[in-house]
Amino acid sequence: MPSLLLVVILVELAVHLVNTIGAATINNLLWNLYLALPTQTSRQVAEKKKIQKEYLTIRRDLNATSSQDQFAKWAKLRRQHDKLFEQLEKMKSSHDASKAKFDRTASIIRWTATSGVKFILPWIYGKQPMFWLPNGWFPYYVEWILSFPRAPLGSVSIVSWQAACTGVVMLLSDTIKAILVLALGAKTAQKQPMKVAGENQGEKPTSQGTKEKKDS
Amino acid sequence: MSTAVISADDDIFEPSLQSILDQKTLRWIFVGGKGGVGKTTTSCSLAIQLAKVRRSVLLISTDPAHNLSDAFSQKFGKEARLVEGYTNLSAMEIDPNGSIQDLLAGQGEETDASMGGMGGMMQDLAFAIPGIDEAMSFAEVLKQVKSLSYETIIFDTAPTGHTLRFLQFPSVLEKALAKISQLSSQYGPLLNGFLGAQGQLPNGQNLNEMMEKLEGLRQTISEVNTQFKDENLTTFVCVCIAEFLSLYETERMIQELGSYSIDTHCIVVNQLLFPKQGSECDQCNARRKMQKKYLDQIEELYDEFNVVRMPLLVEEVRGKERLEKFSEMLIHPYVPPE
Repeated sequence: MPSLLLVVILVELAVHLVNTIGAATINNLLWNLYLALPTQTSRQVAEKKKIQKEYLTIRRDLNATSSQDQFAKWAKLRRQHDKLFEQLEKMKSSHDASKAKFDRTASIIRWTATSGVKFILPWIYGKQPMFWLPNGWFPYYVEWILSFPRAPLGSVSIVSWQAACTGVVMLLSDTIKAILVLALGAKTAQKQPMKVAGENQGEKPTSQGTKEKKDS
Repeated sequence: MSTAVISADDDIFEPSLQSILDQKTLRWIFVGGKGGVGKTTTSCSLAIQLAKVRRSVLLISTDPAHNLSDAFSQKFGKEARLVEGYTNLSAMEIDPNGSIQDLLAGQGEETDASMGGMGGMMQDLAFAIPGIDEAMSFAEVLKQVKSLSYETIIFDTAPTGHTLRFLQFPSVLEKALAKISQLSSQYGPLLNGFLGAQGQLPNGQNLNEMMEKLEGLRQTISEVNTQFKDENLTTFVCVCIAEFLSLYETERMIQELGSYSIDTHCIVVNQLLFPKQGSECDQCNARRKMQKKYLDQIEELYDEFNVVRMPLLVEEVRGKERLEKFSEMLIHPYVPPE
């Protein structure tokens, strides 16, 4: 069953990606996508932004108005200010609540789609052999371990396959990381000597420059 | 807003308190403002004017620094007493902090033998919840006042902060007491199981009686609360002087009263200077200029209020005759001499 083999690999990959990118980042990304949709929440957010802008304008006006010389104007602004502030507080709490709700839902869906599938698959396909080992190539204990919990002897069980996939994904990600670090490191290393050389050349002017800055 | 309707007939808000005299349904009138702006004088004057058109008027001072006795040159106490020279105007002074002590002390004495712990319990309660002592004494006074059946009651309140706290009590206390009642109805049976059929608490107190008392208090307070929020029954007269801080406090107070949904549509501006034309007094002229500035601001900001302008007199407003003369100006706006 080649598709199952593929599914297991993909699931492992997804789990690893989620773990490296981070759940919070993904949730934020999804939240921003959700806000881009024409839903009620996005309308609320737009309204909140509008009120916030209005509030800031009034606040600026309020600060610019002298309460002693133009009391009437000041007091009217103050009333508006207080009203908007109250409105904003209310909106903020409702916004926070909807965000928390969204986060919860997104987390649940994400977990079921990755870790949940990862745990459920071995349970459903525990007795199915992923593929058969060539007869007599491996000693009995290796065959026993590879078929570990419930798959027939002489085959590779889904659990073993998962473990193998995890290992491969880890190895791959480590390799990619190492290559990236190497490439970036080489770049910075290339830059650094130049910098050092430049600094050496221009040492005196720069120190003078800092001095001048300090003086000014 | 019945006054608004009355005033809307001629489409302007008269600079007098005539609207309060005309509004016959009014039962509670609060007079409040910053300290030293003439609250007591204003409330006494308003009481005198109201006494002319109402069956009976009671003036209550809740300011710990009592000035009613000073204003009328007559001693008032915790019991309502007729003001000399009037047949339908009474006055009393209550101390929101003091009367709870009296209440508790009295209770302790009379219940010493039978249920001596009750007083102790009430005392514990009184000092456990912040503000409950004042609120309870307030409720007690209101109960008294209700039984005395006055047509209109004027409160000469303490300076701004106190006033608002005072008016806030009913809402706060009602919430707290509702919680307690709910708890007692939920756990009462359980407690009674422990306490036996009589519901005796270890130190001789009776749980049911205690709860009944609290419930009664709650009902009084919630009734008062609904009355205070009814603009046909209650209004608040703001007193201020034409100075920045006083104005600032007044604005704050009006906003807060709005948030408690207590009606207010009258502002009395006291202690205005009207120096004669060509007066040489530098101070008077400078102050007049400043007051004019703030008066203009008041007019602009409170265009839906009855703004009454009162002059600063050359003598202290004390005694019946002077108060009466002063009170005339609340109704018939003062015209400065040219």
